[in-house]
Amino acid sequence: MKEVDSIVGNEGNRLMLSMRELSRVYRTDTVETTALDGIFLDVADGEFVAIMGPSGCGKSTLLNVIGMLDSPSSGSYVFNGTEVAGLTESKLADFRKRNIGFIFQSFNLVDELTVRENIELALLYHNVPAAERRARVDEVMDKVGIAHRAKHRPSQLSGGQQQRVAVARALVASPKLILADEPTGNLDTAHGEEVMKMLQALNAEGSTIVMVTHSPSHADYAGRVVNMLDGRILVEHRRAA
Amino acid sequence: MWRNYVTVGIRALAKSRTYAFINIFGLAMGMTACLMILLYVRYELSYDRWIPGSDRIHQVQSWYKSQETGQEAQLQMTPYISGKSIRDSFPQIESEVYVSNNNPVFSRDGQATSTEDYLWVDGNFLDVVPLPMVRGDASALGQVNSAVLTQSEARRRFGTDDVIGQTMTLITRGVARDFRITGILQDLPRNSHFRINSLIRIDYPAYLGDTPDVLTCWGCQNGWVYVKLRPGADAGAIEAGLPAWEDRAIPDETAGEARFNAGDDQDWHIVNLEDVHLGRAQGGAMSPGNDRTTIITFAIVALLILGMAVVNFTNLATARASQRAREVALRKALGATRRQLVMQFVGESIIVAVVAMLIALALLELLVPPFASFLEADLQVAYLGADGIGLPVLGLVLVVGILGGLYPAFFLSRFEPASVLKANKSSSETPGTGRLRSALVVAQFAVSIGLIICTAIIYGQTVYARTVDPGFRRDHILQVDELSRYQLLDKGEMLAERMRRVPGVEAAGLTTIGVATDNQNNTGVMVPGRPDPVTIGIYQVDEGFLGAMGMELVAGRWFDAARPMDDMTLPYPPEPASQRALAARGGNIVINELAARRLGFEDPARAVGRTFRAGLIQNELGLVPVTVIGVVRDARFRSVRQPMDPIMFQNTNTGHSNIIVRFNGDPAQVRAGIERVWKGVTTEVPFEAEFSDGIMAELYEAEDARAQTFAAFAMLAIVVACLGLFGLAAFTAERRTKEIGIRKVLGARTRDIVRLLAWQFSKPIIVANLIAWPVAWWMMRDWLNNFDARIDLGPAPFVLAGLIALAIAIGTIATHAIRVARANPIHALRYE
Repeated sequence: MKEVDSIVGNEGNRLMLSMRELSRVYRTDTVETTALDGIFLDVADGEFVAIMGPSGCGKSTLLNVIGMLDSPSSGSYVFNGTEVAGLTESKLADFRKRNIGFIFQSFNLVDELTVRENIELALLYHNVPAAERRARVDEVMDKVGIAHRAKHRPSQLSGGQQQRVAVARALVASPKLILADEPTGNLDTAHGEEVMKMLQALNAEGSTIVMVTHSPSHADYAGRVVNMLDGRILVEHRRAA
Repeated sequence: MWRNYVTVGIRALAKSRTYAFINIFGLAMGMTACLMILLYVRYELSYDRWIPGSDRIHQVQSWYKSQETGQEAQLQMTPYISGKSIRDSFPQIESEVYVSNNNPVFSRDGQATSTEDYLWVDGNFLDVVPLPMVRGDASALGQVNSAVLTQSEARRRFGTDDVIGQTMTLITRGVARDFRITGILQDLPRNSHFRINSLIRIDYPAYLGDTPDVLTCWGCQNGWVYVKLRPGADAGAIEAGLPAWEDRAIPDETAGEARFNAGDDQDWHIVNLEDVHLGRAQGGAMSPGNDRTTIITFAIVALLILGMAVVNFTNLATARASQRAREVALRKALGATRRQLVMQFVGESIIVAVVAMLIALALLELLVPPFASFLEADLQVAYLGADGIGLPVLGLVLVVGILGGLYPAFFLSRFEPASVLKANKSSSETPGTGRLRSALVVAQFAVSIGLIICTAIIYGQTVYARTVDPGFRRDHILQVDELSRYQLLDKGEMLAERMRRVPGVEAAGLTTIGVATDNQNNTGVMVPGRPDPVTIGIYQVDEGFLGAMGMELVAGRWFDAARPMDDMTLPYPPEPASQRALAARGGNIVINELAARRLGFEDPARAVGRTFRAGLIQNELGLVPVTVIGVVRDARFRSVRQPMDPIMFQNTNTGHSNIIVRFNGDPAQVRAGIERVWKGVTTEVPFEAEFSDGIMAELYEAEDARAQTFAAFAMLAIVVACLGLFGLAAFTAERRTKEIGIRKVLGARTRDIVRLLAWQFSKPIIVANLIAWPVAWWMMRDWLNNFDARIDLGPAPFVLAGLIALAIAIGTIATHAIRVARANPIHALRYE
C-alpha cells in the first residue's frame, strides 16, 4: 500500500519542488540498496517541512536529492518549474548555487577561516562584488546574532554559535530553499531550541525550509511533518495552524 | 611486543601503498646516490695512497704567476735543475729523481710503433717511488740504460712478461738506443696520478749533450721531480724553506740590457703524492686531475638528495599522523608509555630504511659499473673491509631511520588519548606542523630549483665551449702530429708540399701550435720606453699556416716566402754564429690582437711596422729586433678554461711539431692519402693524425662527463622532491576533503577547486625560487669565472628553472586536485 500524497502546498502557494515516483538505488558489486523507493513529494513556496524517521530510512538521501547533491536513479524531480533529474553535474552545481542553502548537523565550517570568511565563502562563487559581499555578510551576522564573533575561528565558538554561523552562511546568498540536516543533532537542548526558533523566524519571514530531524519536539516547529520508513514516505500530517 | 610493532608497521605500510612507495623508493634513490658518490669520493681520495711510504714521497711543483698580468699557472712540472738544487739544499731529502716524457718510437723487427707513457728517469725511480713489481726488484733501475715495463706493456710488446734480460730498442732524437729490461712492474691501478708504461734510466746530461741549456734552464718546466724525505722529516719545514732557497739558488740572467730572475715569476712547492691528484696545480700533469670543489660539490648534492628523501619521510609521517592517532590513543589507554610509542615509531621508520637500503644496494650493483666506466674511475662495490661499504650502509640505515622517525615519533606519541577517542577527531593536528611541512617543502624545492639552474648553466657553458667562435675555422681540419721527431727535422716543408697535392686537400701548413696542442712557449719582448719585458707566446709557423688554419688577418700582411726578412729559420742543433747573425739582421713577425694590446696598441693597424726586441735566441747572444708586419685575429687554440694567449708568430722552415691539413673531400680518404704521403717520407716515425672534431671532443670529455653526472644527480633530486610533493598533495587533498566539500556545496566548480589547490602548492615553490635564485647565482658566477670564455649569467636559466619546478609541482598535484574536486561532496560532509 502506498500512501500517495497529492496535497498542494499550504495556502495554495506555488510549488517550489515536486517529486514523482522518484527512486534512488545504490549499487555495489554484490549488494543493491534501495534508499528511496517511489517518492512523491511536493513542497510549496514558504513551507517549513520536517522529515522524520529512524536511522537508515532514507531521510538524508532524500535531503541530498532535494539539494541536488545526489541524483535520482529514476523518477522525476521538478525544481521551481525545471526538471532537474538527469542534468549534468555542472548544471546541478549551478542550480544549487543559485537556489539552495545548506545547514548540517556537524556545522561543516572551514577551521582555517574566520566566522566572517566562512559566511563570505557562500558569496565567493556568485560573482558578488567585495563591497556588497561585506554588507550582506554583516547583515546576516546581525540577523543570527553572531556579529560580535566575526573575527573568531570556528574552534573558538560554542556548538550553538557555530551552528548560527552555518545558518548565516546558508542565508547569505538568499536561497529559495534552505535544507537543514539534523541542525540540532550536535547541540544541547538550550542551543537546539535557539536554532529552531531561528529557523522558525526565518520561515515566518518567507524562507522555504526542509529539515531532517530525529526530535519530535523540533519537528513541531515545522508546518508539515513527513514520516519515512525504508525509503518510503509513510504518512504526512500538517500541524494544526 | 616487537612482533606486534612489526606487524602493525608493515600493515600500516601495506594499507597506504602510495605513501609506502614514496617513502621507500625515495629513500632508496637517496641512498643509492649517497653510496655511489661515497664510492666515487673515496676513490678520488685514494689516489696514490696505495704506494708504500706515500706519506714520505713528494712532487716538486713550480707555480707560475706573471708579475705583468697576474695570470697564474700552477704546474706539476718543474725545471730539471730545480730538483737537483732542492736535493742539495735540504738534507731532509733522502733521494730525488727527475722524470720526463719523451714518447720515443719503439722499434722491433724493423717495425716502428709509437709509444705512450714511456718515461725517462735520471736515477733509480723505484728508490724514490717503490712501485710494486712482478719481476725484478727495486734495484732494477740502478744502472743507466736499464728499463722496466709494466706487465701489460711487456705482453703487448713481447707477447710475454718473461722478458728480463732482453733488449728493447727505442728511437729518440733520431738515434736508436738499446735498453736492457731489468724488471716488470705491476700494472698501475687507475687511482694514481702516474701514467707509466715503461721507465727508462738514461744518463740525462749526456742525452741532452747537444742542448745543455736545458740542464741549467730555470724557466724550462719540462719534467717531473719526485723526492723522498728521510723518515720523520717535516715536509712543512721544507715548504717553508723554499722561498729563501729560491733567493739563494736562482741566478740572475741577462739578455741584452734586460736583467731578470726565473724566481720572480715562479714559486716552488713540494706536494705530497697523495695530494697531487686533487691538488691546486693541474698544469703539466701526467694524468688529468680533479679538483676538490667538484668532489665536495658531488658529496653535497648526494647529501641533499638523501636529506630530501628523509624530509619526505618526516613530512608524510607527520602529515598522516591523524590516521594513526586512534591507534596511539588506544595503545596509551591500554597502558603504553610514551617511550614505548617512540620506540615503536622509530622502529617502523628503521624498517622502512632497511627495505629502502635493500633496494638501494640492488640499484648500486646495477649502476656502479656504467657509472664507473662513464667517469673512467675504478669503482667497485665491496661490502667488508676498510674499503667496504658495510659500515656506511649500516650507518645510513640507522641515521636515516632515526632521523626520519624521531620527529614523527615524538609528534605521534604526544596525542592525548581522551581527546582523540572522545572527539572522534581527525583534524588532531597542531597548526605548527603544517608550517614545518611548508618550510621543508620550500627547502626541498629551493634545492631542486638551485640544481636545475646549475645544470642549465653548466650545460649552456659546455655547449658554448664547443661552439664558441675560436677565431679560426675549426671544421675540416686534420691535425698531423709527431712532426717534431728528430728524423723529420727538415722534412716538414716537403711533407706539407706533398700533402697539398692529395685529392680533397685545400691547404696545409706547418706549426708549433694547433688545435688543443699543449706546448706553451713564451718569451720576453722589450717595448721601447718600458723597463720590463712583456711576456708573449712565441710559435713557429710557415707561410701555409694562416690558410690551413682558416685564421683572419686584421691588419698588415702574412708571411711571404719571397721575402728573405720573413724567414727566421735557424739551424738545429743551435749554432752561436747563425744566432748572432739573426740578432744582427732581425726579422719579421706576425702577432695577434691580444699581443698588439699587450705591446701597447689598441688599434692593431698601428702596431704594423713597429720594431721590438725579443728573446728568440740564447740570452747571452742578445735580443733579436723583430718588426711586426701583420696582426691576426685572436684565436683560441686551447680549452676555454685557459686564457687567450698573446702570440707572436715566427716564420721558419724547420722545427715544427704539427701539420695542419684543411680538406674538403671525404675525411677517410683524405686521411688515407695523407698517411700514404707520410709513409713515403718516413717509416721510422709512426703516423699520428686526428680530426679537429675528435680533438675538441677529447678536450672537453672530462668536463662533459662531470656536467652530465651533475645533471643526473640534479634530476634525481628533483624526482625525490616531486615524490614528496606528490605524497603531500595526496595527503592535503585528503585532509581538505571536508573544506572542498563545503566549497562545492556552496557552488564552487571543479576548476575553482583545482585552482585553489594549485595555488596552495605554487606558493611554496615561489618562495623556494626566491631562496634558490641568489644562492645559485652566486655559485654559478664563481664557477663561470673559471673559464676565460664564458656565457653571461642572464635571467633565462633562473626563470626557466622556476617555471619547470612550478610545472612539475602542478603536474604532480593535478591528478589529486582533479580527483578531489570531482568527488561528490556528500561523503565529505556527512561525517566528521
